[in-house]
Amino acid sequence: MTKQSPSLGETKQSPSVGGKDPIFFQGLIEEATVCAHCGYCRSVCPTYAGVGWESCSPRGRIQLTQFLLEGTPVTAGQMTRLYQCTLCGACTTVCPTRIDLREFWLNARAETVTHDVLPPGPGAARDHVAETGNIYGYPPEERAGWVEYMLDAPADLYQRDTAEVVYFVGCSSSYSPRVQRIAESFVRLMTAARVDFTILGQGELCCGFPLKVAGMANDYQHLMEHNLERVCAKGAKTMVFTCPACRIMWMEEYAPRLPGVRMLHATELLAELSAADRLSLNPIPPRDGDSIERVVTYHDPCDLGRNGGIYDAPRQVLGSIPGVRLIEIHERRERGLCCGGGGDLEMVDPALSLRIAEKTVGKLAATGAETIVTACPQCVRTLTRGAEQCAPNVQVLDVVELMASALDSQ
Amino acid sequence: MSAIPLDFPADRITDDLIERRHYARDLAPVPGILVKPFFKALPDGIVRPGNVEQVAHLMQQATRLHFPVTPRAAGSTSYYNSVPVRGGIVLDVNDLRDGIDLDPMHHTVRVLPATTWFQLDDALQQQGFATKSYPSSAVSATIGGWVNTQGHGIGSLQYGSLGEQLISLQVVLPDGQVRTITRETNPPLEWFVASEGTLGIVTQVELSVRPRPIAEAHHLFAFGDLSSLGQSIQTLARAEPRPYTIFFADDGYLELLQRGGFHVPFKPTSDARSLLLVSFQGESSQIEGGKDLLLRLSGHELSADLAIEEWSLRLFHLRTKRVGPSLLAAEMWLPLNNLAPYLHDVATFAARRHQIMGNYGLVVAPDQVQITSIYPADERHTFAYLAAIGFTKQLYDLGARYGGRPYGVGLWNTAYLSRLFSREKLAELRRRKAQLDPDNIMNPGKLYAAPFPLWPITFGPGASALGIAHTLHRRKM
Repeated sequence: MTKQSPSLGETKQSPSVGGKDPIFFQGLIEEATVCAHCGYCRSVCPTYAGVGWESCSPRGRIQLTQFLLEGTPVTAGQMTRLYQCTLCGACTTVCPTRIDLREFWLNARAETVTHDVLPPGPGAARDHVAETGNIYGYPPEERAGWVEYMLDAPADLYQRDTAEVVYFVGCSSSYSPRVQRIAESFVRLMTAARVDFTILGQGELCCGFPLKVAGMANDYQHLMEHNLERVCAKGAKTMVFTCPACRIMWMEEYAPRLPGVRMLHATELLAELSAADRLSLNPIPPRDGDSIERVVTYHDPCDLGRNGGIYDAPRQVLGSIPGVRLIEIHERRERGLCCGGGGDLEMVDPALSLRIAEKTVGKLAATGAETIVTACPQCVRTLTRGAEQCAPNVQVLDVVELMASALDSQ
Repeated sequence: MSAIPLDFPADRITDDLIERRHYARDLAPVPGILVKPFFKALPDGIVRPGNVEQVAHLMQQATRLHFPVTPRAAGSTSYYNSVPVRGGIVLDVNDLRDGIDLDPMHHTVRVLPATTWFQLDDALQQQGFATKSYPSSAVSATIGGWVNTQGHGIGSLQYGSLGEQLISLQVVLPDGQVRTITRETNPPLEWFVASEGTLGIVTQVELSVRPRPIAEAHHLFAFGDLSSLGQSIQTLARAEPRPYTIFFADDGYLELLQRGGFHVPFKPTSDARSLLLVSFQGESSQIEGGKDLLLRLSGHELSADLAIEEWSLRLFHLRTKRVGPSLLAAEMWLPLNNLAPYLHDVATFAARRHQIMGNYGLVVAPDQVQITSIYPADERHTFAYLAAIGFTKQLYDLGARYGGRPYGVGLWNTAYLSRLFSREKLAELRRRKAQLDPDNIMNPGKLYAAPFPLWPITFGPGASALGIAHTLHRRKM
């Protein structure tokens, strides 16, 4: 009954994700009526903080959805507010009427498609996926091009007929040069731990997450059919993802059609491998400015933490790497900051995405760590851009990259 | 901007209709039929100043052009306190936030007004300090907003009202002057406390804080009858060590939570009808002394885990709204010694009207509670909702029989001005308003006088008729 160090701040974590309270979604109109307009959501919303207008607060977006559904004339430009949201989930954690706001946003965005008031950014992504199978519109035959850059890649380029584990790489790590290293690092680690795995290579298409969160449910079904067919052909019992958004998509949409298949984030698998002593790691050398150890701080990705429920695995991985000292930021776990890269925000308002990234990097850098570690390719991309603007001496890495560098050092 | 020509940075001003509609409401939805014929709640424009100079610049223009300015921060009150009633400009102060400057030597902090209580306390805790008190809506309620209301909440029992903790305010007066206001200045600080944004824009707050408490303890009790609950609260509220806060709730509140699908610490029975949460904060000796104090209570103490869980939910009473989906409420000050009879009468009142009602509240002074009587409604059915609104007046009337008076004024509670203020006090408040805002541009239509629809001769019979209609409607269901 007696508790040390009371803090008003501690209450933010409860009754939310970790609490006993359920969250609800009974329809847009129903939940919009339940919304108390108390503004709790507003105080934790990263895009509201960056925009400032009430229409860009979560409660404002709820009211905007009401306007749309009750027939108030609105434009695609005004509906952009629904997409100036990273789907970070912070609003749900504090909502006192316990609205499942992520579900609300997805349904509200679908209404913009239905009512033909969709802002332009997500539409372009839909076109890219339709044409190339990836959100960037890059050539599909280059999807596994990152493997070809690896000097130590095996002859089969990690593409095996069958395997126990399928590594679903995702569009970002397949195509985005900065985060291709995450995929490279992860296959190195799995190889070192003698995991029987495969990638899908050109057979992999976008998981559909960017279209789902844009409200385009009709536009990703063919992607699912394709990906499911390829995965089933491998006979795998486990799927693993370095991208938390891909993992969420597979868990929410694909998993019912893959009974008995485990869906793990890379950090979960690496934590298991580490606990089983299947990885031999050398101490990480310190960066310039660090005295003895590599001092890092960890950024909880929204789609891995708040939206995905994984907080411990990446910390266990960090804890298993010799020479690494973790300084935790005050805003962590359920209260973790948003990088600004989620929810298709980058497609709709890249400047806002960058402002959020800069703010988050600033807070992470204020811990004193010179390396920001996270566990999401999209977080790495956006935080790297943020760091370039406001903290050029700070390095941003995925935990997979950091761990793989322990394989290489010495 | 078409309606009001203002010299202001283009990215900080808008007359977009959709945007303006967001600022034409607060926590409580009010049907258009009660608003549109009488008030202009839709502002002509919104401005978001980014610094005190921009606030002053705006107010200078407002004075020159004679247009109304309604300041707004969280907009989380229920009485149209920050909703315009005469159009004009809504001054959204939310960009004036953070700027937390702690003076650890003197235990004071300066902070910008749109910082929330949650954010301030969170920042202070990291530096070894804490706010002395905070509102039960601390996640969204702002520092400046609470200065402008009554400022009683969690921690007030031990540390007094926010007004007592204030050291100075920076205020932009209606004519655009930027003044630092203390208890010694003219006008003094007291004028601005609970002035509901009618005298100026608070642009910085300096208040006293406390060292972060070494420990805290929470105790949860169930009571079978209201008299025992009332007596126990009276004992605790005057005792030493003084509890940090005392929260209570009745079986109606627990029933609403259950109906909403939430976990409750116990299901109401004849042996356990109401709930009491007593929290102590401070030195270890205070915590231990508190335990001795609790031995005098007649209620049944529940487990430590339940007590901590209830404490963790202290900012989340709006969970009850899920039952509604709308929630109507009468928020009152009530003499502590009348708490039990009031709760008893509300239960009787609710039963007669076939209406589930819940009550919860805080002890905010040794002799006062801040009580909220709530009941579900559904704003989507306009007639039934209008009728349900009539109940609120009946609850206020019931509370008045026990010395209760509404908590906060805004627009809607101007109907109860005679209960809120003595004739002399109201005259004094009006004199201050006339002195500082002779053109009546600051949040006009609030606090000082009831508009025609809220005159006793029109409001009383109208609200009573709605209440009766609601009773008849409930009986039919």
